[in-house]
Amino acid sequence: MPRKNVSIKLKNRISELERLGQKLQAFGEGIGLSKKCLFQIHLAVDELFTNIVKYGFADHNLHYIAVTLSHRDGKISIRVEDNGIPFDPAAKQTSELKDPLEHCKIGGLGLHLVKKIMDDIAYERRGGKNVITLVKYIPHT
Amino acid sequence: MEIIENQKEDVSIFKLNGRLDSNTSPVLEKKLVSAIENGTRNMVIDFENLDYISSAGLRIILKTTKDLKRTDGHIVLCAMQDYVREVFEIAGFDTFLPIFSTVDEALTKV
Repeated sequence: MPRKNVSIKLKNRISELERLGQKLQAFGEGIGLSKKCLFQIHLAVDELFTNIVKYGFADHNLHYIAVTLSHRDGKISIRVEDNGIPFDPAAKQTSELKDPLEHCKIGGLGLHLVKKIMDDIAYERRGGKNVITLVKYIPHT
Repeated sequence: MEIIENQKEDVSIFKLNGRLDSNTSPVLEKKLVSAIENGTRNMVIDFENLDYISSAGLRIILKTTKDLKRTDGHIVLCAMQDYVREVFEIAGFDTFLPIFSTVDEALTKV
C-alpha cells in the first residue's frame, strides 16, 4: 500500500460529519483499505469529533477541529486536535454495557466503541489544545 | 439517510439506506416515534443497505426498544454488514436485541 497523509479541517458543527465521511472514504479508497477497516476508522473519528462539537466548547462560537490521518508501515495514525475545554478521552472510564436493558446506560457509549475498535489511544494537552492520537493496525488480508 | 417503510400484516419493516450518525439519526428517530404513536407494535429494522452506524444510531435503536417494550411491542434487526453487527456486539446490544441474517427470518421471529 502507498504512503499517504491527509489533513481535514472541520468546523464545530455536526453537519460537518457528511464532509468528514466523504474525505475518509477518499482516503481509505486511495490506500486500498478494507470496508471494515475504513468503517472502524470513520467510527472512531466520528465519535471523537461529535463529542468535541457537543461538549468541547464553553461558547457557541466558530471553532475548528483538525483531523490528520497518516498511513505508514501497515498502520494508520490519526490525530484529532481542538482548542476546547481540556478533556482526556483516554483516561475516561467506559463501562461494559452488559446490563439488562432497563439499566443500560448509554452515556460514554461512543468512547467505549473507540477504545474497543482502535489499537491505541493517547492524549496530551499541548499549547492550549487537546491532542488525541489513535492508532489502528491494518490487519493482513 | 433514506428510510423505506413497508407493512407486512402487523409488522412494520423499516429499510435503512446510507449513513446513520448524529447528523442523520434525528430523521430515523422521528420516523420510529411517529410509527409507535400511530400504533405500530412490531418492527423489523432492515440494515442491508446501511453502510454506517455510530453511537448516535445505536441510541435510537435502544430508545425504540425501550419504547416498544413499554407497549408490549417487539423489535427485531436483520441483514447487517458484519462490521455493523460487530458494533452492536461491542456495545452489548446483541444480548437483548435479536439480530437475524435476513428479513424473511426476522419476520418469522418478531
